[in-house]
Amino acid sequence: MTRVVRNFTKSKGMTILIVTAAIIVFFYIMNPAYLSFDNVRGIMYAMSLSGTITCGMACLMMSGAIDLASGAEGMLAGVLVAFLLRTDIPWFPAVLMILGVGAVFGLVNAFFANILNFMPFIATIAMSSVYQGIAGVITTNQPIMITNKAFWELGSISLWVFPLPFIIMVVLLIIYGLLIANTKFGRQMLLCGGNRNAARLAGISYKKITTIMYINNGCIASLGGIVLAARMHSGSMQSVIGSEMDGMTAAIIGGVSFLGGGSSGMTVVFIGIMMLNCFKNGLYIIQLDPYWQVVSNGALLVLALIVDFFREKRRLASLKAPAREAPAKQT
Amino acid sequence: MEKKSFLKRLTQSKMFVLLLLYIAVAAFYTIISKGQYLYWVNIRNILSSMVITAYLTCGAVFLMISGNIDLSTAQVSTISGILMAQFLMKGFPWPLAILAVLAGAALVGFINAVLINEVKFQPFVATMAVSYMVQGGMLLLSHGAAVEVSNKYIVWLGTYRIAGQFPVNILFTFAIFTIYGVVLAKTKFGKKIYMVGGNPVAAKLSGINPKKVWYILFINNAVLGSVAGMLQAARLRSGSATGIAGGAFAGMTGAILGGVSFGGGSGGMGGAFVGLVLLNGFNSGLTLIGINPYWQTMASGALLLIALTFDYFNTKRLMRR
Amino acid sequence: MPEYIEFNGIGKAYPGVQALKDISFRAGAGKVLALLGENGAGKSTLLKILSGDIQPDEGTIIIDGEEQKFAAPYHAISRGISVIYQDRQLVPGLNVIENIYSGDLPSTRLGLLRKDEMRRTTREIIDAFGLPIDPEELVGGLSVAYQQMVEIMKAYRRDSQIIAFDEPTAPLTDAEISILFRLIRKLRDDGKIVIYVSHRLAEIFQITDEIVVLKDGRLVKTMATPETDEAELIKAMVGRDIGDTYSRLSRNDKLGDVLLEVNNLVTDAVHDVSFTLRKGEIAGFAGLVGAGRTEVVRALFGADHILSGEIKINGKIHKAGSEKASIEQGIALCPEDRKEQGLIMWRSITDNICLPVLDKLKKLLFLDRKKSETLAEKAVERYSIKTPTLDKIVSELSGGNQQKVILGRWTSDLIDTKILILDEPTKGIDVGTKAEVYQMVCDFAKQGIGVIFISSELTEVINVADTIIVMHNGHITGTVKREDATEENVLALAMLD
Repeated sequence: MTRVVRNFTKSKGMTILIVTAAIIVFFYIMNPAYLSFDNVRGIMYAMSLSGTITCGMACLMMSGAIDLASGAEGMLAGVLVAFLLRTDIPWFPAVLMILGVGAVFGLVNAFFANILNFMPFIATIAMSSVYQGIAGVITTNQPIMITNKAFWELGSISLWVFPLPFIIMVVLLIIYGLLIANTKFGRQMLLCGGNRNAARLAGISYKKITTIMYINNGCIASLGGIVLAARMHSGSMQSVIGSEMDGMTAAIIGGVSFLGGGSSGMTVVFIGIMMLNCFKNGLYIIQLDPYWQVVSNGALLVLALIVDFFREKRRLASLKAPAREAPAKQT
Repeated sequence: MEKKSFLKRLTQSKMFVLLLLYIAVAAFYTIISKGQYLYWVNIRNILSSMVITAYLTCGAVFLMISGNIDLSTAQVSTISGILMAQFLMKGFPWPLAILAVLAGAALVGFINAVLINEVKFQPFVATMAVSYMVQGGMLLLSHGAAVEVSNKYIVWLGTYRIAGQFPVNILFTFAIFTIYGVVLAKTKFGKKIYMVGGNPVAAKLSGINPKKVWYILFINNAVLGSVAGMLQAARLRSGSATGIAGGAFAGMTGAILGGVSFGGGSGGMGGAFVGLVLLNGFNSGLTLIGINPYWQTMASGALLLIALTFDYFNTKRLMRR
Repeated sequence: MPEYIEFNGIGKAYPGVQALKDISFRAGAGKVLALLGENGAGKSTLLKILSGDIQPDEGTIIIDGEEQKFAAPYHAISRGISVIYQDRQLVPGLNVIENIYSGDLPSTRLGLLRKDEMRRTTREIIDAFGLPIDPEELVGGLSVAYQQMVEIMKAYRRDSQIIAFDEPTAPLTDAEISILFRLIRKLRDDGKIVIYVSHRLAEIFQITDEIVVLKDGRLVKTMATPETDEAELIKAMVGRDIGDTYSRLSRNDKLGDVLLEVNNLVTDAVHDVSFTLRKGEIAGFAGLVGAGRTEVVRALFGADHILSGEIKINGKIHKAGSEKASIEQGIALCPEDRKEQGLIMWRSITDNICLPVLDKLKKLLFLDRKKSETLAEKAVERYSIKTPTLDKIVSELSGGNQQKVILGRWTSDLIDTKILILDEPTKGIDVGTKAEVYQMVCDFAKQGIGVIFISSELTEVINVADTIIVMHNGHITGTVKREDATEENVLALAMLD
């Protein structure tokens, strides 16, 4: 245990935690309502959506892939679950079915990235508009109301002060955190993200691992969308869109490298999620012009990307050979 | 030396395949719409819908052939329309307003190029980051509201129809396409673009400066994007944050369909033009036969993927030879 | 624990090149076997076959009488073979423990890692080797030498019985080399089979027990280290019949004025290099890979930054600031890696030949297509490039024809090349075309061009060049006239330790 604490204080997590604390103190001074019960609950709700998306995204990025359609996948899952619940299907099988659809989302990405060798970046952005189109066709841009009261609970009940969506997010992070830290598969994943060639020589299939992670990401993003739909009592086209950017930002702040896999563990990712949402909510609570809020969030992602870029550059420079294969002539 | 005949060259080209494909698409829509697809009104619609993307495509084709990519163009377009509208509202003379916007866009292109050439960011990351900043700036400027454009010269550019029928801006589009096509295919600079995209190291060792080419192309791309945005504002008589249809890949889908690949070094304006016609002809057909407009959102992504798949099999065929 | 590994008649051919032919030898347990040879002798190919990265066309690998088939690297790993390459196969973002265990992490049936076991074993291994490394440290934070040690520990942890090193000392300092040798001796004393690839002779005598010498993909000699000496080894490495290819060359016999003068050139990789080149002279640069030959010409060409020194062309100081400036001064560079640096693989022959002279092919605003094609046609005729049309994409040509396209690029009518730099022009080219290239080089000299000819094939460089400049470790270690050059004296200069 002492080792864990010692390692943590040395790690990136500590820095981010201090920054987060500073953010909280700052906004509390600006407006004491920042730490009111309602607002903290508000932050938790916000964290639960972006945190769920981040969880899938962080794992995917650690294995060296990316999915920019995560937000659209979550959105479509929310729409589909609302659509499905208009029939008499009980909520639980409906949710399971939609999670299955989420797996298909991931499979589609994996097909483009691993079979046709498209750049995951482009293929997933393209899929994002495909999913938005599908959602538009289904909803004609009107939210689909959900009347299944049992399903509402998924988004609204609380355990003590913690809303269920928040708990779901934390549980997911813990599960994946343990998975990465303690299982063989977790390590193989990091190996793929960190040095594809080394993974190949060690007999680990990059394509197999990333395919699993794409599917995993599709499921988690869908879960995020489903929980949000439960909280909103509707499936809407506007809901989850853009949260893949939050997910990416939080993951990168949380020490996952955008370029080279690698991670400091899920605890740090959690702190990243917390920092992002405390920051966003703070901007809201001090009533900053909403457009400035958008700008600040963009700036935060840019900042995270730049810091990551230089961090990664320094790390790669320490190995004489590039840790990743040079990109082949791709389409 | 043996030379391929013109006919043989034509039938072997990707452009030809695309053209056939488009004819099939057009035939399909014509039948479904009971001939309406071939009415002048619809053809004009197709041509008009091409106007804006055409500029983006010209920029994207050049950049992609040189082995680079710019995801910030759509944002530059949008902000340009808004900026122009605001400058005009503040009473700037219209040529000055346009020049100021173009200068701003050139600056964004320059920043992209600096990040990629000098700081050595990946083009994806750099231009995505820049696109966020531009988007932020756009929101700050517009606060989401549309600004009216009433300057008669600019509105003329956007909406005038020759003989009440033929939109003048379509002529500009054809002109731009021709000029860019000629530059790419016939001039020294065009050749350099191919060489730099094909192998920047070899080009450098042969006395070509790839960075210079990239600087020019990024600035060119941003400026073209800006022109597209201003033209859009002129057409709609307002600058708004609605943005350009097709998002970050608006200019690229047609280009990829027409045979420009992400690897760089191949493709041309002719193919990109046919790709653009196919893209817009396909989309307008969807509208014509009365399909939910969201099918078009879907189609924009699906077409990009189809274009990529097309490119994938083509490259594979080339490799096998 | 295996007693021996035997290579039995291994052969491997690449298009146009027989990389290995009929290699048979045996390495025994508790011994260090050196694999020695010039560049291109086939050492790396053999290692790749051993590691399962490539498969031999013929022959087998036998371990303790049992024939082995490695379809992929991990097959070889699972048979107890570890190859430690120069470009290390590590993950910088993971710590020492995780890197040591990468590939086969110990886990329970549920897939949970046995972390304590991992930490304990790593600790034990580090202690056994007596290294000051923290198992929790990220590998990216270790020095190059320690990263290599991690590779060795990885092999040790896998309990690999056969461990091969590919030029392990190249990036290390003397102190680090002695640690490495200590580790290698420990492996040997533990009864492992160690294969050690190097071309540093001094090391071979320090660390190895047996030596296998390869040349041109064939096994020349197997000997016990104590029973041989440097002279004999060098002879074995270079000894080959010099065919009459060279005697038939029609050479340029009159050298002109001094064309190029390089004085005290210093760059990041080159130290204090000075030499001169006359009109019509062929200056050969000999040395091992990484000796700094390519770096000298790159600096000369303006592709690398020059820290100090001066370059004079025809007596006038030349500022080598950019490639373009150098080309305008009449310098041309044909880089070593045709595919990556020389050619635009997916463009036509015409495009590739016209690359540096686009300025001169302008007619008003446009490129003159006729003129470009005439230019390309002339090159195709002059060098008899085998192609049906000028539009053919260069990636579809053979290696020799590709090389000719590059030569055609720099010797067309529109370009006035005074100094032609050829970096490994015969690499990957079949024997017949090689002879053609030699004659071309002599023809350039006859036209009064000063040729800089870099080659790692000793025989070639000492027989084609008029003057042989030998480099080692960024320095020029000697300059020899063709009349005085023997493979032995040039190799001795190139291997100075």
